[in-house]
Amino acid sequence: MILRTKYTKVGYLKYLSHLDMVRLFTRTFSKVGIPIKFSDGYNPHPKFSIGNPLPLGTESLAEYMDVELTEWIEPADFAKRINEALPEGIKITSCWETEKGASLTSMIAWSHYEIRFRTKNTDQASEFEDSLDRWDKLSEVFITKKKKKGKIKVDRQVDIIPLIGNIIYKGIDEDGFHIVNAFLRTGETGNLKPIELVGAIDRELQLDIDLDMVLIKRLDVLADENGEIKELA
Amino acid sequence: MQGVILPERQANNRKVNGMINKYKLDKILMKVEKPSRYIGMEQNMVQKNPEQLDVRFAFSFPDVYEVGMSHLGMHILYNLINNEPQYSCERVFAPWVDMEEQIRKESIPLFTLESKEEVKNFDLLGFTLQYEMSYTNILNILDLAEIPLLSKDRDEDFPLVIAGGPCAYNPEPLWEFIDLFVIGEGEEVTLELMRVYNKHKRQGYNKAKFLEEVQKTMQGIYVPSLYDVNYNEDGTINERFSLIENIPQIIEKRMIRDLDSMFSPEKMIVPYMETVHDRISMELFRGCTHGCRFCQAGMIYRPIREKSVDRLMELAEKLVDSTGYENISLSSLSSCDYSQLHLLISSLMDKFEDKKVGVSLPSLRLDSVSIDILKEIEKVRKSGLTFAPEAGSQRLRDVVNKGVDENDLVNAVGYAFKEGWSRIKLYFMIGLPTETDEDVLGIKDLAYLVKDLFFNRPPEERKGNFQVTASASCFVPKPFTPFQWQGQDTIENFHHKINLVKKEIRDNKVSFNYHDPRVSFMEAIVARGDRRISKLILRAWEKGSRFDGWSEHFKYEIWLEAMEELEIDGSFYANRNREFTENLPWDFINPGPSKKYLISEYTKAIKGETTRDCRLGCTGCGIEDCAMWGVFN
Repeated sequence: MILRTKYTKVGYLKYLSHLDMVRLFTRTFSKVGIPIKFSDGYNPHPKFSIGNPLPLGTESLAEYMDVELTEWIEPADFAKRINEALPEGIKITSCWETEKGASLTSMIAWSHYEIRFRTKNTDQASEFEDSLDRWDKLSEVFITKKKKKGKIKVDRQVDIIPLIGNIIYKGIDEDGFHIVNAFLRTGETGNLKPIELVGAIDRELQLDIDLDMVLIKRLDVLADENGEIKELA
Repeated sequence: MQGVILPERQANNRKVNGMINKYKLDKILMKVEKPSRYIGMEQNMVQKNPEQLDVRFAFSFPDVYEVGMSHLGMHILYNLINNEPQYSCERVFAPWVDMEEQIRKESIPLFTLESKEEVKNFDLLGFTLQYEMSYTNILNILDLAEIPLLSKDRDEDFPLVIAGGPCAYNPEPLWEFIDLFVIGEGEEVTLELMRVYNKHKRQGYNKAKFLEEVQKTMQGIYVPSLYDVNYNEDGTINERFSLIENIPQIIEKRMIRDLDSMFSPEKMIVPYMETVHDRISMELFRGCTHGCRFCQAGMIYRPIREKSVDRLMELAEKLVDSTGYENISLSSLSSCDYSQLHLLISSLMDKFEDKKVGVSLPSLRLDSVSIDILKEIEKVRKSGLTFAPEAGSQRLRDVVNKGVDENDLVNAVGYAFKEGWSRIKLYFMIGLPTETDEDVLGIKDLAYLVKDLFFNRPPEERKGNFQVTASASCFVPKPFTPFQWQGQDTIENFHHKINLVKKEIRDNKVSFNYHDPRVSFMEAIVARGDRRISKLILRAWEKGSRFDGWSEHFKYEIWLEAMEELEIDGSFYANRNREFTENLPWDFINPGPSKKYLISEYTKAIKGETTRDCRLGCTGCGIEDCAMWGVFN
């Protein structure tokens, strides 16, 4: 049985590395006695995979993991038992049975982010919105991405406009951070990191954003089926 | 509970809530390597409401998170204090160099992992002293916490800074920085100390009054500012004297008599990141009966006291349930000596068979008992096996009273090869008293012997990829051992001996590695230092010393410069042979074994005479009322 689970990673636990997360889940499964399938071989490890792991320091409400079990468990029961053992900040929000098929990583095509940052030039929501209007008129914005060619890294210029679904301004929070929600391409067919977007906005609109303190939260990840954006099944 | 006014708990003007700025913290955590070192939030972490607490304790292991979290003592004290509803214990480790740079740049005072509160707002700050080369980290932690380094500069607005652990048996090199030392085992005295502190806090805490009271009334407490020392012209100590009346001249260590009724942790914090020991650590007993003459722990933790199998089984069950770990390490100074080891291991294996929980032993002796045990815990991975002959020749092993011989090694290694191990590590010390070049070359002989034992087996019985590693540390004579009077080998001599072995080993199946003699020289100076060494530690820290125990950060030049500036002769502390009549800086502490016994052991050592394991009959170490005497005799 394969269970697809959606979970959160918020608060200080956003600083856990992918490896830390794997260790946490491995321990949690064994602690609560989940009948998880183990790989064969000299050093067996539990079979579960995490889709599109986040960069260190990014929060998420939409992490996905596929877990292979040796016997059938009621998905709601699975979530309940795991959640009791997981720390505050990492909790399963939904969970369902799925078939063996395409990997999570290959399915994920879009991410929806909440991005927060401060600027030195504009502390007014209205001014910032005006600036974003200028962004909407840009037909192309190039950024430099590093690409690995064998062992050497080469710079290449990428137009990021096609990688952006939308950008919506949400206002200013109590600590003076502008809040922007953005739909960005994620995965093998095109990828734009939120920090790259913020860097480009800062450069194009000359907002003097404090790039050392950009707080990012992934709100959701979505699949793209022949141009149709869908929830992961 | 509405309308109830809580009593005013803050006797002084210390802030209850001085949480550091979370955005600043976010900013720097994005920039440092392994940020999970600094966030806490692990399973079994305890966080309490500061409004409901009487005394708050910040516990510091003065090294990086993953080293400190592997230390059993931290888990014991953390849970001991947090078990008391009115007290709390939070953790603070030494920030790694990248984190130090960031927190200095952003002016963030050092904070605890639990509440992210500034360390300087705690009532007590306690350091565990496990290794002399971590002392500069203590100063760095105080400085990063914005706490004055010197005890005399800290008034009631700052935490009381205390320290304990094995290195506290010679507290003098830290005397200027630490307000109060705890000598011996901490389970009882820590809570007693907090109770008295709380009493003072309610009455309006006065630091001097508090320190005087505990020095006068509590066993195992040493307040260095209440004593002074003067010196002879040759630099040795003339006398120690008290600065106030009615305080003890001799400080008796604290020792727990019954380990079954003593507090033992039923929980351990489970780190997210990989640490040095990623498993349950369960203490079987304290003390050791072998009497190896170089070993400080073997002397200061006497007498031997065991936990019962019933108690251990009870603890094991709770620890497995609360942590989810799949391995229990049975820890002590020499775990194969536990009198009920077979019963314990088989009971553990039976109990946890379904849960796939394995058992491991952190160290093995070269004797037959160890081999039998090894057969029982078959589940361990057959990668490498470590043995510690300590010295290359039988003569020298007798000098240090390491009761194993070459036959033991042959048997143990032979068994290991038969069972499928193929990588063997051998631990040695260089610079032991009376050592000759011949003894040193014995290291090479033993390593080659192990290699021959492997390749003399029929080809079909050789499993795996053979490798033997001989690893040598440079001997550091420690206080309260029979070798406390012995001068350390000079750095030149260490290099000469290392080169002897290095030149002789020419085989890609045999490798040799060794510790930096310069680190061991500094360790020897600090370990047997007196009050004047505190200035050296301070100067070295000011000049940038940190993480001196880490080879990539140890800067010998700094220490040399600091010694030159302060006109401190390192060889006076490290290389000088002392007379038995000399007043040693730590003589005012009573660790249990008598000076008379240590002298007799030293004299026997030089003659190459051994002393039996005291379980085979008391050897007269001077411990009164030895707890296990009846069991063994």
